[in-house]
Amino acid sequence: MRVYFRYAVKETLTNLWRNRMMTVAAILTVAVSLSLVGAALLLKQSAAQASAQWQQGTRVTVWMQPNATSSQVDAVRTQLTSSPIVKDCTYFTQAQDYAEAKTLLPKSEWEVLTIGAMPSSFRCVPTVPQDAFVIESTFSNQPGVYRVTAPEQQIRQMNHAIRILQVVFLILAGVLLLSATVLILNTIRMAIFARRREVSVMKLVGATNWFIRVPYITEGFIQGLLGSAVAALAVTALHTWYPLHNEFALDTTALIGTNVVVVLVGVLIGSVGSAIAIRRFLEV
Amino acid sequence: MIRFEHVSKTYKNGTPALRDVNLDIEKGEFVFLVGASGSGKTTFLRLLLREELPDSGRILEAGRDIGKLSKWRVPYLRRNIGCVFQDFRLLPNKSVFDNVAFALEVIGRPRTTVESQVPQILELVGLSDKAKNLPGELSGGEQQRVAVARAFVNRPLILLADEPTGNLDPANSESIMALLERINRTGTTVVMATHDKALVDRMRRRVIELDRGEIVRDQVRGVYGIDEAAVNL
Repeated sequence: MRVYFRYAVKETLTNLWRNRMMTVAAILTVAVSLSLVGAALLLKQSAAQASAQWQQGTRVTVWMQPNATSSQVDAVRTQLTSSPIVKDCTYFTQAQDYAEAKTLLPKSEWEVLTIGAMPSSFRCVPTVPQDAFVIESTFSNQPGVYRVTAPEQQIRQMNHAIRILQVVFLILAGVLLLSATVLILNTIRMAIFARRREVSVMKLVGATNWFIRVPYITEGFIQGLLGSAVAALAVTALHTWYPLHNEFALDTTALIGTNVVVVLVGVLIGSVGSAIAIRRFLEV
Repeated sequence: MIRFEHVSKTYKNGTPALRDVNLDIEKGEFVFLVGASGSGKTTFLRLLLREELPDSGRILEAGRDIGKLSKWRVPYLRRNIGCVFQDFRLLPNKSVFDNVAFALEVIGRPRTTVESQVPQILELVGLSDKAKNLPGELSGGEQQRVAVARAFVNRPLILLADEPTGNLDPANSESIMALLERINRTGTTVVMATHDKALVDRMRRRVIELDRGEIVRDQVRGVYGIDEAAVNL
């Protein structure tokens, strides 16, 4: 066993060194494609986390016209409180909204406002976050209502953009992963071709199939591993140097999880590439 | 040691290579396999190595039906069979020592075995002083002796030689034959396919002649070919 181990290590290293140009090409392709996979994964986790956080605190604000009559306000209030999709509602008077605007807006902007020009508002929490949109469409045409705002819209647009980005990343990564697999396959094929004399002698003197195969499998495995290690470094660098902020910020667990996936995929394509090469080009 | 029972083999393109071959080769025998090119000699050797399977019939080696051998056991069968070819098949970038050692290493023999066996076998073939040379630096006869050393280093039960003297001059052929005889005397069964008439005639060993896949002659202490001998007179 020890003899074999030493043999396999020696063979693998010689093969890698002999085909170093191809090896480097294969490793780099694996690295680039897996970096994209890693970035797409980070993006997806970040988007999922952000929208979860937003949805938890989703608020729908029904702004009344500044000149809405109190009967109009009451009508909206009754409807809101009786609606099953509204969990909770708080009424902000014109004065309260004015006070809030004072804290939110820069001085130059709130100075021109007067209490009388401020809309009063209902700050509501929908029973289910997805209902925010329904509330918006139901109340925006009510008499006395100025407009209804919900962050839902923005979340949707953002999620849409992120999803497109993700699909693009994943398609690119898929194409690159495929070419990485083919490159690894080709490197192994060349290694097998370079050693065809050795292989024929090995078969002749009765080396077992696995004895002959293992160095080539480990070769592909190592190429996948090295490529994914580079990709994991790139993903970590991305995470460290260009961190996402606020709701998008990811913790280390997410990063480690992503890197684990990246390495596993790398090892997988390395092994698959060499396995195909062995099946097709190494007859034992 | 080797028994063929009604063995037939036809290749995919329809050429029959062996037709209903029956024979027995005892342990320790020295057998010449003669016949024109395409008579089935190489197929015979390939069947023994289980590089091919017969279409019908059984081949027994050391009492075992090798047709029934599962695929993963084939390497273990081959460990009991040494092989020498016309073109030597040495690894050009390995030294003489490493070429012979390779045969032991790849079947997982420990280093100590390699270090004790290889010098012994190089001594036997008379190449101790060339252990560090590359095959390219040796003469054809010396290269073939390295090949014999590699085939025999694992002490196989059977040694197959496919035209081992085909590329050699008479003097070198002679030394290879002497070597094969020595190996045969240790109890190893030797089967040698050859075209070398003079060699066969002088050795006076068992001769099996194949013609278009059939055994046409099986003669103890035979000569290369009776017909040709007559023509040559």
